[in-house]
Amino acid sequence: MKFIGIVGTNAKKSYNRMLLQFMQKHFASKAEIEILELKDVPMFNESKDQSDSPIIQEFNRKIEASDGVIIATPEHNHSIPAALKSIIEWLSFNLHPLDGKAVMIVGASYNIQGSSRAQLHLRQVLDAPGVNASVMPGSEFLLGKAQDAFDNKGDLKSQRTIDFLDSCFAKFMKFSDIIAQMNIPEDITYEPGTFKVTAVGHNGDLPMEVTLSDDRIEKIDIDTSSETQGIADVAFKRIPQQIIDGQTLNVDVVSGASITSRGVVDGVAKAVKMAGANPDILKKRKKSNGPNKQNVVEYQTDVVVVGAGGAGLTAAARTIQQGKKAIVLEKFPAIGGNTVRAGGPMNAADPEWQNKFEEITGERHTLKEISEIDEKTIDVEYLADFKALKKQINEYLKENEDKKAYLFDSKLLHRIQTYLGGKRTDLQGNKIYGQYDLVKELTDHALESVKWLEDIGVKFDKTQVTMPVGALWRRGHKPLGSQGFAFIEALKKYLESNDGQIMTDTAAKELIIEDGQVKGIIARSSDGKKIIVHAKAVVLASGGFGANTKMLKKYNTYWSNIDDNIKTTNSPAITGDGIRLGQSAGAELVGMGFSQMMPVSDPETGELFSGLQVPPQNFVMVNQKGKRFVNEYGSRDELTKAAIDNGSLFYLIADDAIKETAYNTSQAQIDKQVEQGTLYRDDTLEGLAKQVGMDPATFVKTINDYNSYVDAGEDPEFHKSAFDLKVEKAPFYATPRKPAVHHTMGGLKIDTDAHVINQDEKIIPGLYAAGEVAGGIHAGNRLGGNSLSDIFTFGRIAANNALKDMES
Amino acid sequence: MKLVGIVGTNSSESTNRRLLQYMKQHYSEQAEIEICEIDEIPVFDEPEDKTAPQAVQVLSDKIAASDGVIFATPEYDHSIPAVLKNAIEWLSYTTRPLINKPVMIIGASLGALGTSRAQAHLRQILEAPELKALIMPNVEYLLGRALEAFDDNGNMVYEDKAKELDNDFTEFLSFVKLTEKLTANSKFFEISKQFSWKQVANGEDM
Repeated sequence: MKFIGIVGTNAKKSYNRMLLQFMQKHFASKAEIEILELKDVPMFNESKDQSDSPIIQEFNRKIEASDGVIIATPEHNHSIPAALKSIIEWLSFNLHPLDGKAVMIVGASYNIQGSSRAQLHLRQVLDAPGVNASVMPGSEFLLGKAQDAFDNKGDLKSQRTIDFLDSCFAKFMKFSDIIAQMNIPEDITYEPGTFKVTAVGHNGDLPMEVTLSDDRIEKIDIDTSSETQGIADVAFKRIPQQIIDGQTLNVDVVSGASITSRGVVDGVAKAVKMAGANPDILKKRKKSNGPNKQNVVEYQTDVVVVGAGGAGLTAAARTIQQGKKAIVLEKFPAIGGNTVRAGGPMNAADPEWQNKFEEITGERHTLKEISEIDEKTIDVEYLADFKALKKQINEYLKENEDKKAYLFDSKLLHRIQTYLGGKRTDLQGNKIYGQYDLVKELTDHALESVKWLEDIGVKFDKTQVTMPVGALWRRGHKPLGSQGFAFIEALKKYLESNDGQIMTDTAAKELIIEDGQVKGIIARSSDGKKIIVHAKAVVLASGGFGANTKMLKKYNTYWSNIDDNIKTTNSPAITGDGIRLGQSAGAELVGMGFSQMMPVSDPETGELFSGLQVPPQNFVMVNQKGKRFVNEYGSRDELTKAAIDNGSLFYLIADDAIKETAYNTSQAQIDKQVEQGTLYRDDTLEGLAKQVGMDPATFVKTINDYNSYVDAGEDPEFHKSAFDLKVEKAPFYATPRKPAVHHTMGGLKIDTDAHVINQDEKIIPGLYAAGEVAGGIHAGNRLGGNSLSDIFTFGRIAANNALKDMES
Repeated sequence: MKLVGIVGTNSSESTNRRLLQYMKQHYSEQAEIEICEIDEIPVFDEPEDKTAPQAVQVLSDKIAASDGVIFATPEYDHSIPAVLKNAIEWLSYTTRPLINKPVMIIGASLGALGTSRAQAHLRQILEAPELKALIMPNVEYLLGRALEAFDDNGNMVYEDKAKELDNDFTEFLSFVKLTEKLTANSKFFEISKQFSWKQVANGEDM
């Protein structure tokens, strides 16, 4: 522990100094005590602020850094010396290092009193709101007749006195520990936005606007136009400044304007509440020490990237490969974004490789189905490609008519499947499909991305060609190693060994725009530093907004309802930051109403791999009333739509045999989840129904009907197209499920060079976007495995064009 | 009657200074009040020679020549300002002009409380044996919301507070007269003006 001892006098000879020096020596094994002197402290004068002077700054800095302060005070005229009072006044004026700091008071005097009255005054002084120290109660150490108390080595002579000092000090060590715990700042997060509240003026309430970002109070605007001039004006200026500087609601009220001062604080507190946060956390924070000028750091680079997921790291790596400098800003402590959560395979048509594998049952049928699609239903931009694909398919089918064929693929098939997969109509009847030139760019260059990643150091498993859920075709390139993390690991290694800079805990807040040209980013680090990155280009690669429910609800046009408490498979960092930044530069948005849900997610965590996840042919889904409600073999968004229409929460029913087909779990895990109440198990269907709160008779009828459909091979109710097992063997299971947000398809409008496009269809100079932050490619629904193709392809494209534009 | 009014702060803007100026003007027929500033007084550091610096000597002489002293104190951190305490420490350590001197304590603040805690401290301080001032009992003049208390001509806007001050000041004038009789034969005047806290402890004459 480290304590600061303050000698409460500036006299040359002081028994209080001797007392502190004795403590310093005597407690050396327990704590370090650094003694500060008042000799050079100027007399406090509020008209001549010297808070910035080296001596006051030294006191401020050292006290701030300490675990506690010991003040040794003499008694002058029944009170503390003016010199001691003066430093306390300095430290309660513009600086507040004693705020919440543990303080121990000791005192020595010539007379028998031992500074008893001075100590009481000092307690009252330290308790004043501007000082706000945490003074240790009790354990009053008074050293009377100090001139006789020390021997010539400076040690206290009386063992009894030493024993008492020991016990006081031991208590102070504990006390400062407890106070330190009280001072641990609580984190606070806001729903970003501008909130309209009121401040109190002399002539009634004044309109006030408080702007909050996700972790900061950014702006407080008070409309004082209806207010008469006077002292309150100071409150309307000084209080908002203090609140913003210190990110605190613990502010000194302006003397003489306490009502208006508190009115501002109350108004901001109300806005904080409206933003879903607890203002008490801010009231407990320390007072502002004024804006710290050293807390601004500036950087100069070629390309600054927002977001350290796959797209961002790719853009940075590509920049460095071409001999330029790059800085990546990541608001979270860890890099990887959603990419580390990806299953692993990335789509890229690579016929040369795929042709080495045999076709599997059903694939030929899929190709036939595609070739038989009515051309009238194909949008005109895609028609030529569709016809060419049809030709490829027919040739392939003809060539392999009578024999086992190889696995077919082509860029055209990838392109048409991405197009068909993304074609959707929202609730308002708006039709959407992937923008042709972007889809072409993606499918033409996806394979280059695989090769580029290999150059960077990603190793792929060439022995199998896989297909993630919802991919529609086997063209997945799966990295060796742990799924999505394999990409991030390799990119990180590349950047680190090539002078790339990744700044974590650094949230981009603002674009620097000069004469319409984007010239960098203003960011803020989690420790409050302002970081200015000047750059020739800014690449936004911060992902979508799957973890921002408010934003999802604002734009949603596809789902009939999105629950306030909907979960997500995304990283909590994915809150649409890049979209907001783009908008600040006038960017156009496309397809914002469309989002993709994972229907079978955990209702509490959003994760996929809890409960019993079985192949879809064994899915039996029932709603909260115990009735089936959907063809369980349907697509992700069919299942999600049906679930939302049935109150979102539903159950996957399994019996003992179906349980055996689960691919995600073990008996031990199942038992644990049953115990925790996240999975239900019962020996009878009736019992299971009761456990989850369904009508047993309805539920039993539902299961009996389902079993009869399995026997008949036909589902007259929902037309489930493939069956496997019946639900008949106890014990029975119910896994609660709820759709969770998985991907937001909409975002910033870009061109094929990854330039961000503004509302006048013009390029925003210096601004690029790559990955989920951009819209227009996946349209209404993204194919599984296409997100990785997207980020690595457009991440490279963004860097390539940023550098190209720099040259010209 | 000749009184000294001490402005208890070194701030260039002070409602306590304004309060004293109001009294000087308003009570000019009853008493001559000389307003004294303490901002030039150096930081007290218990010098061994116990000599009052020039600024302290000037203030001390004025106090000594007066019939009574009015302290107008702001409140900083629940107590009197360091700068006022500093002046008092010099006086107590060197020339001790406050011995048996009638004293009235007043205070003005921007907030509502009107320096209540600072005044209580100042009372305790001036009662210390090193100072031995005669503080007028029973009267506590607290002027809250002082920034709005005076109009452009320096007159007090709050009628009740003006009346209260009239009464308190009249009381103080009687108190000054009363103390003349009370202290006429006091031995306190004869004791050494050279004071130290060490002497206090050693039971020496105070």
